[in-house]
Amino acid sequence: MKIEVNTKPNRSWRTVLTYTALCVVATLFALPLIACLLTSLQPLERVYDANAPLLPSQPRWTNYVEVFRTLPFARFMVNSTLISTTAAFGAVLTSSMAGYALANLNLPYRRLWFTALIATLILPSQILFIPQFMLFDALGWIGTYKPLIVPAWLGGGAFNIFLFRQFFKSIPKPLAEAAELDGASPWQCYRYVMMPTARPVVVTAASLSFMLHWRFFFGPLMYLSDFNTFPVSLGLRMYQTLAGTWINLLMAATVISTIPLLAIFLMGQRFFPDAVSPNSDAD
Amino acid sequence: MIASKRRPTKPEPHSRKRHALLFAAPWLAGLVILSIGPMFASLILSFTRWDGLSFSDGIEWVGTANYHELDDEFTKSLTNSLVYSALAVPLGLIVSLALALLANARLRGIRIFRTILMLPYMLGGVATIMIAGWIFNPRFGLMNRCMNLAYAVLDPVVRIVNTTGTTDWPTPDWLYSPTACKPALVLLHLWLGGGSMLVFLAALQRIPRSLHEAARLDGAGTASRFRHVTLVHLSPAILFNLIVGWVFAMQAFDQSYLLYNRSQRDGLLFYMLNVYRTAFDAPYRMGYAAALCWILFCILAITAGSLFVFTRKRIYYVSQSQHAPIY
Repeated sequence: MKIEVNTKPNRSWRTVLTYTALCVVATLFALPLIACLLTSLQPLERVYDANAPLLPSQPRWTNYVEVFRTLPFARFMVNSTLISTTAAFGAVLTSSMAGYALANLNLPYRRLWFTALIATLILPSQILFIPQFMLFDALGWIGTYKPLIVPAWLGGGAFNIFLFRQFFKSIPKPLAEAAELDGASPWQCYRYVMMPTARPVVVTAASLSFMLHWRFFFGPLMYLSDFNTFPVSLGLRMYQTLAGTWINLLMAATVISTIPLLAIFLMGQRFFPDAVSPNSDAD
Repeated sequence: MIASKRRPTKPEPHSRKRHALLFAAPWLAGLVILSIGPMFASLILSFTRWDGLSFSDGIEWVGTANYHELDDEFTKSLTNSLVYSALAVPLGLIVSLALALLANARLRGIRIFRTILMLPYMLGGVATIMIAGWIFNPRFGLMNRCMNLAYAVLDPVVRIVNTTGTTDWPTPDWLYSPTACKPALVLLHLWLGGGSMLVFLAALQRIPRSLHEAARLDGAGTASRFRHVTLVHLSPAILFNLIVGWVFAMQAFDQSYLLYNRSQRDGLLFYMLNVYRTAFDAPYRMGYAAALCWILFCILAITAGSLFVFTRKRIYYVSQSQHAPIY
């Protein structure tokens, strides 16, 4: 007996409806970004003219040059890149090591540490900022990038450790133990077998760490006072205080600041699903 | 496996443990130095009155005084954060779930859709807050422009229905109004819902289609299938997003700090902003700030813990045989 499913005549009606909903929602979500882009190309008078249409008749590309002249924006970008890349590197290194220890090596009290890991995920450390500040003050690190980078090197990012642990656990045991049985040390197993296999997770963790540190505001706000050391997150705020009058520059600066994020996101995007659901059976 | 005189033996458990500890050392050190240590230090600090700078005239042990003498700012900031979270978290759950359901559609170009939805979340932080600040500008921002446009469109309709009525409805002052500032932040939160959406989406895609097929064959309509198949399998994700959403909403700082202005009359004075000011604006009351942090921590730990414990029975955790092992 042939069972027929999904032969309802209103199937294409459903598709049309879904596509419409998709378009509406996508437009809603993209609209603020588009508005930002448009505002960044306007001269100031038109921005503050309630009757002027949103589309600029003559896009003012020089706004983007103004951004770099008003404040040391290039400096901000370089600073952010420095912080984010060093942090991302350290985070991937230490979180993969920790994930490996949790997944494959017989770490004592594994379950306890795993629970602690989940707890760290859910109760983020904003509540701990005071003693951390005092610790860094005692170490003389206030004003440097160390308070921003060193935590990433100390097992950077509970989520990254989680990702690595899940992924390493999903690697079939024969593969994981093959090198070991041939006499390799755990470090060699890690370096030559586990990490190359875990490339999706490496890319994902690196991207996430980079983006997280790029956007990080509270930390730099606390630890940095010399504006030449500011990353973009603090730098943008400086445009905000100017932006009582120069909102178009603020928007232009925002656009520029998001370009590296966009690049990293779009490039790393295809690795994300594989990292999060290893070996999942796609129905 | 390998033909040799001596079978390759696994390293003794002892040295394996040592390697494990070595590998996990950075993380474990970080846990102690940056998380556990500060927790206890913060507790001790909360029993003092200290400006955090000078050791000479500084530290004064005051016992639980910091916990008793909670000032107006504490109540104000706690209320603000609670109201904000009460609005943002449930709405955020609903919206991100709806988005995930949409994003789960098996249609061409769905990837572009997902990317657009994730974009604000990915760009997040200061950039999106700045954009929001501009969008919600009462006179020139996109939001009120759209509302005025909607009013203009609705005007003829209203005139037909009620000849004396017009759409002279005001547009809210958003971030310059004590009442409309929190809704503005809630809308921002919804716009940044990509992260929660991703969690839901991943969970949705793990539901075996055979279950949906079986339900459909048994005569279940869409709503019924949603209730009995989808929601059930989503329950862990819902709990996760609920707890994480609640915890992050109560600790919201960036938006509060960047979009704060006097016209809101402290409407955006969130809890962490108050803590920050207490600690870093003169007078530097570090001890009191630490106490505030501990109060928040206890509130969050108790509520999150209760949520987790009391919903245990209602959450359907798929057994290991069906999916890749989680634990």
